[in-house]
Amino acid sequence: MSWRGRIERFLALARKRRLDRELEAEVEAHLEMAERDAREAGLSAEEARWAARRSFGGIEQMKEDHRDRRSVRWIETAVRDFRIAVRTLGRAPGFVVVVVLTLALGIGATAAVFSLIQGVLLTPPPYKDPEQLVLISSARTDDQRQERPRPWPAAQWLEWQREAKSVQSIAAYRWMFNFLILPDRVESFEAMVVTPEYFSVVGLEPVLGRKFVASDTTPSAAPVLLIGYELWQRRFGGNPNILGQSVRVSSQEAPFEIIGVMPPGVRFLPAPNVAQEPNYDVNALVDMWIPFAPGSDPAELKRPRWNIVGRLAPGFTPEQAQAELSLLAQRQARADRDFAGFTPRVRSLTSEYNHDGERILLPLFGAAALVLLIACGNVAALLLVRGLGRQREYAVRAALGVGRAGLFRQASTESLLLALAGGAIGTGLALGVVRAFQLIGGHAIPRLDTVTTGWPVLLFGLVLALIAATLAGLFPAWRASRFDPNAVLKGAGPRSTVGRGERRLLRAVTMAQVALTLVLLAGAGLLIRTMINIANAPSGYDTSRILTMSVTSVQMSQADFHRRALERVQALPGVECAAYAWGVPLTGNSWPMRVIIEGQPVPASAKEATELPLRSITSGYFEMLGMPLIEGRDFRPNDDDHAPPVAIVNQAFAERYFPHTTTLGKKIWLLGPDKPPNTIVGVVANGRTDDLTRRATPEIYGSFWQYPAYSKHLLIRTKAEPLSMASAVESALRAVNPYVAVEHVKTFDQIRNDSLASRRFAMQLLVGFAAVGCLLTLVGIYGVLSLSVASRQHELAIRTAVGAEYRDIRNLIILDGFGLIGSGVAAGLGGALVLSRVLRSFLYQVEPNDPATLVAVAMIFIGVALLACWAPAQRATRVDPMKILRCE
Amino acid sequence: MSNNDMSKQRTDVPYGTLDLLILKTLETMGEMNGYRIARRIEQVSGNALKLSQGAIYPALIRLEQEGWIRARWGISETNRKVKFYSLTKAGKKQLEAEVQKWEQANALVARFLEAVP
Repeated sequence: MSWRGRIERFLALARKRRLDRELEAEVEAHLEMAERDAREAGLSAEEARWAARRSFGGIEQMKEDHRDRRSVRWIETAVRDFRIAVRTLGRAPGFVVVVVLTLALGIGATAAVFSLIQGVLLTPPPYKDPEQLVLISSARTDDQRQERPRPWPAAQWLEWQREAKSVQSIAAYRWMFNFLILPDRVESFEAMVVTPEYFSVVGLEPVLGRKFVASDTTPSAAPVLLIGYELWQRRFGGNPNILGQSVRVSSQEAPFEIIGVMPPGVRFLPAPNVAQEPNYDVNALVDMWIPFAPGSDPAELKRPRWNIVGRLAPGFTPEQAQAELSLLAQRQARADRDFAGFTPRVRSLTSEYNHDGERILLPLFGAAALVLLIACGNVAALLLVRGLGRQREYAVRAALGVGRAGLFRQASTESLLLALAGGAIGTGLALGVVRAFQLIGGHAIPRLDTVTTGWPVLLFGLVLALIAATLAGLFPAWRASRFDPNAVLKGAGPRSTVGRGERRLLRAVTMAQVALTLVLLAGAGLLIRTMINIANAPSGYDTSRILTMSVTSVQMSQADFHRRALERVQALPGVECAAYAWGVPLTGNSWPMRVIIEGQPVPASAKEATELPLRSITSGYFEMLGMPLIEGRDFRPNDDDHAPPVAIVNQAFAERYFPHTTTLGKKIWLLGPDKPPNTIVGVVANGRTDDLTRRATPEIYGSFWQYPAYSKHLLIRTKAEPLSMASAVESALRAVNPYVAVEHVKTFDQIRNDSLASRRFAMQLLVGFAAVGCLLTLVGIYGVLSLSVASRQHELAIRTAVGAEYRDIRNLIILDGFGLIGSGVAAGLGGALVLSRVLRSFLYQVEPNDPATLVAVAMIFIGVALLACWAPAQRATRVDPMKILRCE
Repeated sequence: MSNNDMSKQRTDVPYGTLDLLILKTLETMGEMNGYRIARRIEQVSGNALKLSQGAIYPALIRLEQEGWIRARWGISETNRKVKFYSLTKAGKKQLEAEVQKWEQANALVARFLEAVP
């Protein structure tokens, strides 16, 4: 067949009506001419008409043939089936609304979570072949956990670069936080300090300008940097003439020349050694890249300060790289004692990149899929019952010559149509839900800002609709095509009842729904328990009415600024008290220190010393947070660099290291045995500063005036709503130093909530999914029991006739429902025991198989479900035996 | 809804032959309406061909779709609107090709039939 013919055949689909009309006209003209010729040949009018007809042949058959030949038949059939389906469904709007909404809920939930997965997990980082990239961090050879994982000295990784066969290229990087000095203001930025080969290792090409070259890192070279696409757009308006412009960075005297712009969407590679820094955000977009090379100074080469990224040689796995690098590191440790104690840990970048997202999104996707399954169950039951009600219609069609295949096709076309409508509405729903996720889940899921709802989500919605149509529609359609038309047509009157076989099937569907719902409820219950447990956990401090912000003075003597700013803020009306702190609870910030403690064995080398977090605070901090001092005194404003070093420790510290003696007056060395020690002047009550779900561990507090920090928080207890004071505080700070950077303005309560974000997000979603699942299942139970009552009218009538009381009838039906619910619940509890384990990392003080939670959700569900049995049971008692039995 | 019964009708005239007959008729006779084409085929073939006249219309629409014939609305001898068909340039070429193919096939079959064992 020629192309022209093919195209015409498709066009004929659209011209169907016109072509039929034209053919009709031709046939009529043809018959008329034939009739005239026959009359002229001497036949009577009547005979002529018959002769014309006879020689023409079967008109309707010819028309069918005409349609067959001129067009694409299967499309025409499908279109016709769709038309019929639309018409039939149009006669049952209530049914359509219920089915479409049910499917929309299931598809919407699943598509919404999928769009998060698509954006967060399935969108790879913008590097070339990111699956070949590996991160090489360190682990202690004695398997002890590192508070702050040690980065690598250049001497070690330079040798790996030369000798490793499994890794084709290696680059080193550091995280950097600093301030950009702009004409009108100061703005913080996060940057990566990288070796020149960094960009070729990860495979990034600038969109403008050039990459770094080795000569950019020589001591005499002019300072240069590359900026990120987003910074370029935000700060420089996407100016194409940006190259050659210079920018000033607060710590550097000489300005940097901008030599290139990187593509959009480049985020940080993890730098675990600085993870406790207040401004560290691994999921942030990189603002700048600054070149650096280790040089040749032997002391510098041995400083552990580099994080390592490598590209695997073709055909090598991370495990092989791990083995090879471990051997190299062992050899290096034997050659030089300074390198001993640490071994490389090689992990693939993508698994590291997706770890947090997978932890929360995969269980939620599973939960959403359960909702979809429950919805499909309901729709299958509805379709089946509707099919039973239409047995006569099917029988008539079958009698008119529609084959089994035709009936099957029509029934499945209906469910496909319903599923597509549900899919369309559900996907629309998902788009809205994703917006809501982005509002409530900002801190729960990394890189949530990248999630955009596009074609993949629409496509996924379509796929889900097809799956739903298959799951829910296949069996009812098969059933529709298997009716025996004779039996149905012979049967008396319309039937709205079902036989035992169908009833058993419907009960099985409902039981499965109950089981799935119970799994969802158990998950939601466990997370609710977790949130309650966390709310009741003794944090040890009070987060209310506290405003926090990170404050950095740029271009001014630090100590001077700090004192004057603090005085000024404290004098503001509406401020109760104010304090500086490095290491505010729940921010993840702390300052891990190798500590030598009086009375404890002195470690052989500094590396084996105990690492404890140091927090640096000003006086009044404990009082503001409501942390009582158990012994000793608070810091004083004159505990500064002119006074002997002091420290306050928490109770956990005192109990661990001085269980039998007084802690006050004991000495600890923070900076090494050759430096003056700190005297412990106070013991403060324990607080859960790292994580609300973890008991307090030993901690040390230093005086801020002795341990000043570049980046730190200013905390202010206010009389009124904290955020209302924010601008007043900010202008007070600017009055002291116009170049102060004030960032991350939040209430302490917000910090607390952010630290629980992923748990809360998981809980909110699971509770939502469980509620939807519950609702659908209750509708399912109600439907099945109603149908069962309708089908058992005879039996009920006879029971009533032989003397059963209303109460007996009601109990009979409720017992029937209870059997259904009970077995579903039992199956669901089994499922929950297995499936709840995926939530383990979110739970706090409750086990995934917590019997109390499981029993509670089971009881609640049974209680609510029995309510759904009540209406059908009541209806059963109203069966009038006379009316029913007389019909026989 | 099955089309099985109709396929028997088609086999009355060898499949594809009807196309050739129509094209040849239009070449010889010029522009004609459907009825006249059917009559012409009947007359030329005598009683040898058992053709339902209606069978011509599915063939005509396909020939039109392929661009071998073109249709134009005209007035029949009974004063009705009816389609008049004529051969296009492409149709002429197609006819030549079909005729050649037919003759080759014929010659081949004839040679077989004439062959002495």
